[in-house]
Amino acid sequence: RHEFSMEMTCEGCSNAATRVLTKAGGTDIVTDLASKKVLVTSDKSSDELLEILKKTGKAITYVGPVN
Amino acid sequence: PQSAQVRISVEGMTCKSCVRNIEEHVGKQDGVQSVEVSLEDKEALICYEKAKTSATALRDLIDDMGFEASLVL
Repeated sequence: RHEFSMEMTCEGCSNAATRVLTKAGGTDIVTDLASKKVLVTSDKSSDELLEILKKTGKAITYVGPVN
Repeated sequence: PQSAQVRISVEGMTCKSCVRNIEEHVGKQDGVQSVEVSLEDKEALICYEKAKTSATALRDLIDDMGFEASLVL
């Protein structure tokens, strides 16, 4: 399970993150606008997920694994 | 250069920042000449050079951004 921090200003942005992660096969996706956090469970590597999230055009940083 | 125009319906935009984000991101793509995104009509109007990109490539790009994009034919 991975945690990212993503520039999200509105619900549309968090929905977009949820949608791209779902399409990438991610599960238990949690987005929190206030803390700009995105959590996802996926067998993909954090780098792959980072690339996918970067396509949203938003600033993304990888925070770390979440157990 | 041979340019064309495509209208793409974009579901999932909720505010101005999504509109700006799409306009900036799509605008940076090679071959894109102009991008107009309307929040009210939920549509993006893009002029592009046919040699450098295509309607479907632009649709996929917006899809990859996390919006439900489909070509308006």
